[in-house]
Amino acid sequence: MSVRYSTTSRMLAIATGLAVCAIIARGAGVGPWELVKAVIEGSFGSPQASAATLAKVTPLVLNGLAVAVAYRAGLLNIGCEGQMTLGALAAASLATRAGEWSGAVLIPATLALGGLIGAVWAMPALWLRRRKRVHEVLTTLILNTLALHLADLLVVGPLGDGTAIGRTALVARQAFLPSWEFDRGAAVSLAPLIAFGLVVAVQVWLERTVWGFEVRATGMGPLAARVSGIEAERWQRRVFLLSGFIAGLAGTLEVLGVHHRFYRAFSPGYGFDGITVAFLANGSPGWSCVSGLLMAMLRSADKWLQLSLSISPSLIWIIQAVLLLSVACQARIDAVWPWMKRVFGRLPGGPRASEEAQS
Amino acid sequence: MTGEWLPACIYWSLTALARATPLLFACLGGLVSESSGVINFALEGMMLAGAFGAVWAAHAFGSPWWGLLGGAMAGMALGALHALACLSLRANQIVSSIALNLLAAGATGTLLNQVFQAYGTSPTVGRLPSVGEYVRGGFPGEAAWGVRVLDALPLPALLAVGCTLVVLFVFQKMALGLVIRACGEDPDGARACGIEVARVRFGAVLCSGLLAGLGGASLSIGALAQFVERMTQGRGYLAIAALILARWNPKGVLPATLLLGGAEALSDWLAVAWPRLPHQGLLAVPYGMCLLVLAVHVGRRRAPSALGRL
Repeated sequence: MSVRYSTTSRMLAIATGLAVCAIIARGAGVGPWELVKAVIEGSFGSPQASAATLAKVTPLVLNGLAVAVAYRAGLLNIGCEGQMTLGALAAASLATRAGEWSGAVLIPATLALGGLIGAVWAMPALWLRRRKRVHEVLTTLILNTLALHLADLLVVGPLGDGTAIGRTALVARQAFLPSWEFDRGAAVSLAPLIAFGLVVAVQVWLERTVWGFEVRATGMGPLAARVSGIEAERWQRRVFLLSGFIAGLAGTLEVLGVHHRFYRAFSPGYGFDGITVAFLANGSPGWSCVSGLLMAMLRSADKWLQLSLSISPSLIWIIQAVLLLSVACQARIDAVWPWMKRVFGRLPGGPRASEEAQS
Repeated sequence: MTGEWLPACIYWSLTALARATPLLFACLGGLVSESSGVINFALEGMMLAGAFGAVWAAHAFGSPWWGLLGGAMAGMALGALHALACLSLRANQIVSSIALNLLAAGATGTLLNQVFQAYGTSPTVGRLPSVGEYVRGGFPGEAAWGVRVLDALPLPALLAVGCTLVVLFVFQKMALGLVIRACGEDPDGARACGIEVARVRFGAVLCSGLLAGLGGASLSIGALAQFVERMTQGRGYLAIAALILARWNPKGVLPATLLLGGAEALSDWLAVAWPRLPHQGLLAVPYGMCLLVLAVHVGRRRAPSALGRL
């Protein structure tokens, strides 16, 4: 199910995508270098911008990790948006109410609750997949919409702070993640570090342990995995729940590290961006750090694009879509690759696909 | 009392049909594409593109009828991209769909800005007439009761039902329907029979885009008279759910979409009847209903066996 490619050929695909983006930017009346310059200026041009970018790295990397880990087990979790939103809401509700707990108890408890709610919101999709054979992409998409409406309903009603704005009260002071203020109005919390640690843990788990091997085998061919004695179905279920947990965690860290409360329309599409992050990273947790950073730069530069180049921030969506399409079309790019290798001499890497073995 | 029940029932079922119209178009599109073996989760994006294309064309040419054509063309353009990525470039069909949904959201937002210099919503354009208005256009003067009831029925609804009949005819009575289904069930067998599978699938995905585009147009110039950013609100996904409920059977498409459209009409009605109900809960009614029906729906679901395979 999940075909993976070598890093070099993936880079080739991304380069193709960037070239197409440059052509589109040309069409919108912006030179490609201007666009690159604007993105870098908008994301790391000032301490404040850098802080905003780093704050966006956490949810993007974690959602990317959530999608990637499910994809490695052969499942697509498109429901990160909903899982993240509900996880964040649960986390904020706990952290606003447990005022007398100490931070050392409250922060882990909140993280656990947020992740758990995320996993719970992934469950109906699993159940429907197993019992009714409904594709998980469809159910998670519907669950997303339901989650957004549910969170709206709860935050205006019983879980809100009583105002009509639709937000919870500020979380207890000791639940704020420790943060480092490196310039006026520019602070970065512990959240990116936690995300990074989690990425490393999942990477090691997937690539260096027996369980990780079983998960990868399940993703490459559930039938073959089952025949060789791996509990494929069970691993798919566990990994899907893990994926929901990570997405819920993304929301929780967003509450504890950045906003310190939950409000309506909490996630500006981080869950969906996670799909792009995961696929640009080729389903690898480690690389999703890099692609997560790239997406965070694009996301935090969108207002700057509007100000400096006066193009619509929606252009970011187009760039994202083109990148995703180009990595999706990797198979065809790979087909050209052996030919290119012959032309440019022997370069390291190249497709790991069976085509080489055959030729 | 009885005198009021009948009109109310008729009115309500017409409203359900009106709300089901975009879903019906999109669901037919999904049916055509998936019967030929190509997964199409990009219906959402195709609808959005269609909605924008319709408003753009209606604005540019000054008539909603051109808008209908523009919507179909915009949907078809996205269909062409999906076909190109999946069939010519052998992309993963689900990933390509997700990318196209993103592309539609981004492109409509950007174009909205470039064409209308607006953020969020477009200026209003001409709306397609309802069936009642259309009929009365021919016979001016005091209208009969039956014609006034038809005011609740937008014209695209009639077009959608017509398309359903055409698709039904193609799939049940024509060789073409058999050819499409053969590509979805057993592409190798179809190839052995001399069918050009890739070409049939390309056509099917284009047709799917056209239908979904019409669905979007019926939303933007049928129900409203303007384009609102992300106005489809997940209806493309509901259409796929309807397709699953219909078990990829052309006969089941109309009932399945009417069920979900009815849920939307119900949530509208509840909002008026009990204003104290929270509106977020009501907005979720069609989606909750959809999940519930998927969960309790008994019977074997059988997708085309080569769905997603090249």
